[in-house]
Amino acid sequence: MSRYMVDKFIRAVELGDATVAEYVADPPAFVERWLAGGGTPAGPTDDRVLTEAERAAFAARDFGALYSLGAHPYLLWHFTEAVYEHEYTEGFGWRELVERYRAAVAPQGLVDYIP
Amino acid sequence: MAELVLAAVTPHNPLLWRAMTDPVPDDLQPIAANFARIREAVVSHEIDVLVVIGTDHLRQFFYDNSPAFAIGKADAYHGTWENEVRTFGMEYAELTGHRELADRIAGRSVQPDAIDFSVSLEWRLDHAFVIPLQYVRPELDIPVVPIHANASMPPVPSVRRFVALGEHLRRAIDEWDSDARVGILTSGHMANDVGGPRTFAGSPDPAFDALAAGWMRDGDLDGAIRVCSEVDRLTEAGSMTSQFLNAVAALAAMGGRAADVVDVPESRFSTSPFFLWSTH
Repeated sequence: MSRYMVDKFIRAVELGDATVAEYVADPPAFVERWLAGGGTPAGPTDDRVLTEAERAAFAARDFGALYSLGAHPYLLWHFTEAVYEHEYTEGFGWRELVERYRAAVAPQGLVDYIP
Repeated sequence: MAELVLAAVTPHNPLLWRAMTDPVPDDLQPIAANFARIREAVVSHEIDVLVVIGTDHLRQFFYDNSPAFAIGKADAYHGTWENEVRTFGMEYAELTGHRELADRIAGRSVQPDAIDFSVSLEWRLDHAFVIPLQYVRPELDIPVVPIHANASMPPVPSVRRFVALGEHLRRAIDEWDSDARVGILTSGHMANDVGGPRTFAGSPDPAFDALAAGWMRDGDLDGAIRVCSEVDRLTEAGSMTSQFLNAVAALAAMGGRAADVVDVPESRFSTSPFFLWSTH
């Protein structure tokens, strides 16, 4: 478990418009690119490590799995909104996304998200 | 000496920015009216500087370096973030700082005994600061001293540290050799859940809301301390409910006296806190 890295990845995507666009264009490729970046032994610290389960969850935009892996709830909701809102249609909008999100996390109850 | 003439607690719910526009929907009219009341109080109290207590939402501060209390000592601040403009439709803001009061509060060469502040001289303020200011002072022309109180990244300071923060602010302002009229503006939540099982389903805990309003109505600082010391009680009330602690800091700054205005309107959102202490 590396809740800190899950939260760090979420921020790496969600904070900027360009990174949201790059991620939603190809989530698995973005995950691999992100992991390949990061710091060097002599450079500024920028560690990047995800477990297999975390990589798979990000590759699939699986917010239910990310919740169970201990993502910070505030970050996770806004990540979810950012990476799904381009799919809004007349019958599937913000309210429906909220309901889908709640249906995924509510059965799990409160999950320990402290890194 | 400087005078603390007003303290106010408001919501900082960023979803209001798109929802509470003209014509204001019926369920949001009490929220608009309360913001207007506090806006008018800021004008009538002729406030020179605002100490703004808020909780950064993992934008400026993150788990690589998470301060308990951080104070701004910058000459100016940028307001809101790219993701908040995208998600909430917020507008970028530029704010002026107030170095002299920040130094009074946090010390210049030595920290005060009461609180060990982290110091920031470059800080982009998120919606916890910008939303209340845009509603309470749309001109954004009053200098600010922002204070981030960590109520979003556990471990958060205990409620007694929020009380110490409020009491320290009162003391630092009272002892400031200045004729400035100072206001404290804090924002936070009643019971609120974002990203948890009760996300966007109204108040996740009306019983907590009733208790919390009572502490402000009755001036019951001891009651607030007693219940907010139970970390599990706050967690059960929603993932972001610990930001109510910012309101406890305001209550402490006002010596624990009952607020002059207590209004906690319900709406499509979680319950909105409005508490106001004023001198007239």
